[in-house]
Parts: sequence; C-alpha cells; structure tokens
Amino acid sequence: MAILSLKDVRKNFGETEIIRGVSLDIEPGEKHAIIGPNGAGKSTLFHLISGLFNVTSGTIEFKQNEIQNKTPYEVNRLGLARSFQVTNIFARMNVFENVRCALLWSCGYRYSFWHLLGKQHELNEKAMHVLEQIRLQDKALFPAGELAYAQQRALELGIAIASGAELIMLDEPVAGMSHSEAENAVELIRKITEGKTLIMVEHDMNIVFDVADRISVLVYGEIIATDNPENIRANPRVQEAYLGEVAVSA
Amino acid sequence: MSMVKKLSVWIGYLVVLLILPRLFDSILAISILNQMAIGIVFALSYNMLLGQGGMLSFGHAVYFGLGGFMAVHALIMIESETAYFSILLIPLIGGAFGLIAAIFIGSFSTHKAGTVFAMISLGIGELIAASSLIFVSFFGGEAGISGDRTFGPLFFGVDFAQDLEIYYLSAVWVFIATVFMYLFTQTPSGRMANAVRDNPERAEFIGYSARRVRFISFCASGLFAGIAGGLFALNYEFITDESLNAITSGRVLLMAYIGGLGYFIGPIVGAVILTLMNSLLSNYSDLWLLYLGIMFVLTVMFLPRGFAGFIMMHQVVWLRGNLKSLILPYLITGIPAAIFTSACIALVEMSHLEEEVFHYLGLELDPSATLTWIITIAIAAGSFYATRRSVGQLSDAWESANSFPDSEDR
Repeated sequence: MAILSLKDVRKNFGETEIIRGVSLDIEPGEKHAIIGPNGAGKSTLFHLISGLFNVTSGTIEFKQNEIQNKTPYEVNRLGLARSFQVTNIFARMNVFENVRCALLWSCGYRYSFWHLLGKQHELNEKAMHVLEQIRLQDKALFPAGELAYAQQRALELGIAIASGAELIMLDEPVAGMSHSEAENAVELIRKITEGKTLIMVEHDMNIVFDVADRISVLVYGEIIATDNPENIRANPRVQEAYLGEVAVSA
Repeated sequence: MSMVKKLSVWIGYLVVLLILPRLFDSILAISILNQMAIGIVFALSYNMLLGQGGMLSFGHAVYFGLGGFMAVHALIMIESETAYFSILLIPLIGGAFGLIAAIFIGSFSTHKAGTVFAMISLGIGELIAASSLIFVSFFGGEAGISGDRTFGPLFFGVDFAQDLEIYYLSAVWVFIATVFMYLFTQTPSGRMANAVRDNPERAEFIGYSARRVRFISFCASGLFAGIAGGLFALNYEFITDESLNAITSGRVLLMAYIGGLGYFIGPIVGAVILTLMNSLLSNYSDLWLLYLGIMFVLTVMFLPRGFAGFIMMHQVVWLRGNLKSLILPYLITGIPAAIFTSACIALVEMSHLEEEVFHYLGLELDPSATLTWIITIAIAAGSFYATRRSVGQLSDAWESANSFPDSEDR
C-alpha cells in the first residue's frame, strides 16, 4: 500500500498550467528523488503535496487521507514534514529553540500556555538529541540567523525531521554547498531518514543516483518516467529531456 | 544555581516596587509612581504583541480603555451596592473585559500580521474611540465617567482613600502581572509566538496555525492591557475617551519601542522613562512633546534595540571586566554631547519664548538679546565639533573592549 499517492494532479496559475496531470505512488520506506530541468514544476509539486498550494484538480492521498486541500499544519500533523530550498528557519531564535519548536506539536503540547518549557525534561532531551544528530549541539544557544550556511542547512533538516514524521520531503538539501559539505549533508540525510520515506528534489545527479531507490523525471509539469536509477540512466527520453541538457550545460 | 539567580531577580523586583514610595514620598512622587505602575503593565502587554508576536498595533488603547471603563463601572456598582466585593479585584474586572474585547476583535484581526494587522488595529481604534462619544450611557460622552474607590469591604481596615495605599495595591498587581507575562513567554504558545514572528510560513509546516498562535498572544495581551486599565481606573477614579484613543495607543508604542522590544524588561524601562518625561519635563517646558518626539526618532535611528538593548550591549563588556576602560572615553564624548544637547534645547526654548527672559540651567537667558543668541550658537557649534571629533576614540575604545581577549565567541 502506497504511503503517498497522487492521482492526475493538476495546478494552474491563471492560464498557465504548471503541473499537468501528475500521478505517482510512493511506497513506505522508499527513497524517491524527483529530478527535472529548471521550471519543470518540482518545487510546485512539493508545495502541492505539503499543503502550501491547493490543487486545481486531482487527488493527493497520504496514508489514506485526502490532503490535496488541507493546510500545511494539518498535513504536517498527519506525519509529513518538509524542508525548503531557500533556508527557512526561525532566524532570531537560538538553534535549540528552533528544534524545540519543531518538536512541540508532535509531543502533544498543542497551544498550551500552562506548561513551562524549562520543566519539560523529556522534550528538552529530545531536542538535544536532534541537535546531536545534526551535529549542532555546540551551537545550541547560538542565534540561528548567524550560523554559517551549511549549518543553517543542517538546522533546516533538523526542523524537518524533529517531529519524527514518517514522510520527509527535502527540497534541494545540498544546494549551494561545497563538495565536502555536500558529502557530509548526504551522510546526514541517510542517517536521519533511516526507516522513513523520503522524497527529495535535487540537482546534483551523483547524489540522486547515490541515495534514491527510484527516480521520477518531471518535465514541463509531467512525469515522463519513474523507475530505478539504472533504468532512468538508460532511458532515451530522459537523456534527451534532461540528462543531456545537464551534460551540455555542465 | 540559575534557579536561585532567577528567583533573586524577581524578589529584587518586588522589593524595589515596594520600597520606592519610601525613597520618594512626596505627593508628586507617589502620583508618578502610580502612573509608572500603570505604564509598566500596559507596555509589557503591548510587547506581547509587537516584540514577541511581531504584530504592530496602532490601537492597543482599546483594550486598556475598555478594561478601564468597565472597572469604573464596577466601582460605581460597588458604590451603589449592586455588587459587593473588594476593590482589590478591580484590575481583574478590567482584565476580563479587555480579554473579551480581544477575543472578539482578535478573531478576525489576527488573520494576517504585518500591514493588514496594523491597518485593522488602526481602524478598530478609531471605531472604538468614535463609539465612546456615541454610546454615552457606557462611555459617558466627553466628560467620561467617574467612580469612588473607597466603598466596598475594607482590606484589613484600609479603605484606599490615599494614593499611597493605591500604589501598594498597584505594585502587587504589577508584580503579579509581570510574573505571568514572563511565564507566558516560557510556554509552548509563548515560544511559538516568537516562531510565528520570525517565520509564519515555516511555523505552519511544524504543525501550528500561525493565525491561532497570533490569536492566543493577542488575547493574552488584551487581558493584561485590561488589567492596566483597571489600575488606571483605581488610581484616577474616572476615565474618559482619551484612554482608548490613538494618543494612548501611540504612547504605549513609544514606551515599548524606546525601552526595547527585544528584551522582556525593555517595556518596563520605557514605561519608567516616558512617565518621568511626561510628569517631570512637562513642568519645565511646554515643548516636552517635541523633545519626546526627537528622542523617539533618535532611539529608532541609533538605538534600534532601545534603552534595554543599550544596557545589554554592555553586559559582554562587563563580563569581560572591561567596563572600566570605557568610562573615560564615554566622558570624553559624553560631556561635549551633553553641552551640545543643552545648547540646542536653549536655542529651541529661546525661539519658542521669543521676548520672555527665562531661567535655564541656573542661567538667565534673554531671547531678545542678540548676544545671547550668538553665544549659544557658538557653544552649540563648538560642542558639536568636539563631539564629532571624539566619536572616533569612543568607537575605538568600544571595539577594543569587545574584541578581547579570545576572539572565539561561544
């Protein structure tokens, strides 16, 4: 049974069709990458699944719940968490608070104004554990907005995974990183998504072929192929539409 | 260890609140202290919106004023014996009414932050201020309404006829309100208010409705503004539409901003400074509002984190034991700056008073004499030059006091 299932999802902005009938099933535990040229609609697809945009037509089911018209927080509460292409953290709060806030809902605190955070030992330990996973425990009290870029990306990941969501969506997690930073980041992604379902948009093909079990190729709002990495690499349509282009531009 | 430290800060705060009327016991001083007490609660409640929740409100006086009006009505009810309870609880009546108003208005105004929220708050503020002249039976029209706080059951024989007695009552309420507002910042809702302020979009992706988070802060803020309104009612025993109009809304914004939005104690500092300026400066000059305006502009430009921010800037220096090295540089720049400021004020007052001879800093200034003008302008120009020249040494001293001894910050 698929954990996430898209059926003929379409999205128009005015007259322009951005997503033109995407159907896709993601299996539990799968590591799935979505690749495609710039402007193919990868980020839009992420926004549709995570609830930032409403679909124009079609359905999205997550764990047998229809989520295509739910708000981001409703989707998140079902166990779907995501990161952003542009770093999207709580800049004026410290690193520890960033992660702790990301844990609050899943730990059942809701909108409480009667729990004192300092006394929630289990919550605080969980937050420290996440910081250890993303190797930012030394920076716990550091303002998030003043971290180095790669550290902010790590925090971005930490906020996404903190709640223990079953499905994690990462939008270009290593964009803008140096080679060694990217290697560390991939190591980190592997570790923190162990046993979970991952959907990832990424431009770096080495990383995509390294991490993904299956790959979908999105071109102008349509998925032209979904398959395992070897078959994708061999697929002539994919080579023509995307890989060739990258090879030329790179 | 930090627990003891925190507790001692709170005990210190309570002791200061209770000891102040012993140190300053004139009638004027007690009246100023009462105004400060009201201002502190009001400004702290405003900071729950702007500083912690990122909601810029131009109509916070609505909750203060409505709470105050309800509190005066409660006083009237006690007086006419339709209700029987101690006036100790009056601030709670104000708070409850502020909360009800905030629940009602917040249900639609907290949908968005930013400009939309600011404009709605401005509109609601104008609307309520206008209503005060329409619904005369509740607001009393232009004359306002008045009550008497000496009725109802006595509190250990105290009837609260004296301002000093009201001060002690207020001080206890200020302490309670401050504690609860601080504790709110330490709860999930209070912390998520910061998160929504920083990044409402991301907050939604960690399970929280930004609107709901704002709504909760908004209601809490209305509650405490209403408590401040209740303290106002107790202190003055009357209230007019001025307490819920834009002037009062503007004043609380100034208090919070001048004090420093980013710090919990900022609004307390701001309330103290503004109340002092309001009550003391207005005795010396009719232009005090002008000076207040200039101070606000200068604060926004040079101390964006307010006076509390300015004080906190020195914490690092102090912890490194370098504070002493700053005393001399501060004096070298501070003295000409103070002379320059005084000369500018003299010029402003001279052009304001025109013919009238007046006393200023122990001198007798005659605005009609050309020589007075020439000398004052010369002093202003000279001290301005000296200030400009000395700013360099101050910033050098500041740099060296801060970048010492280990460069790695933790």
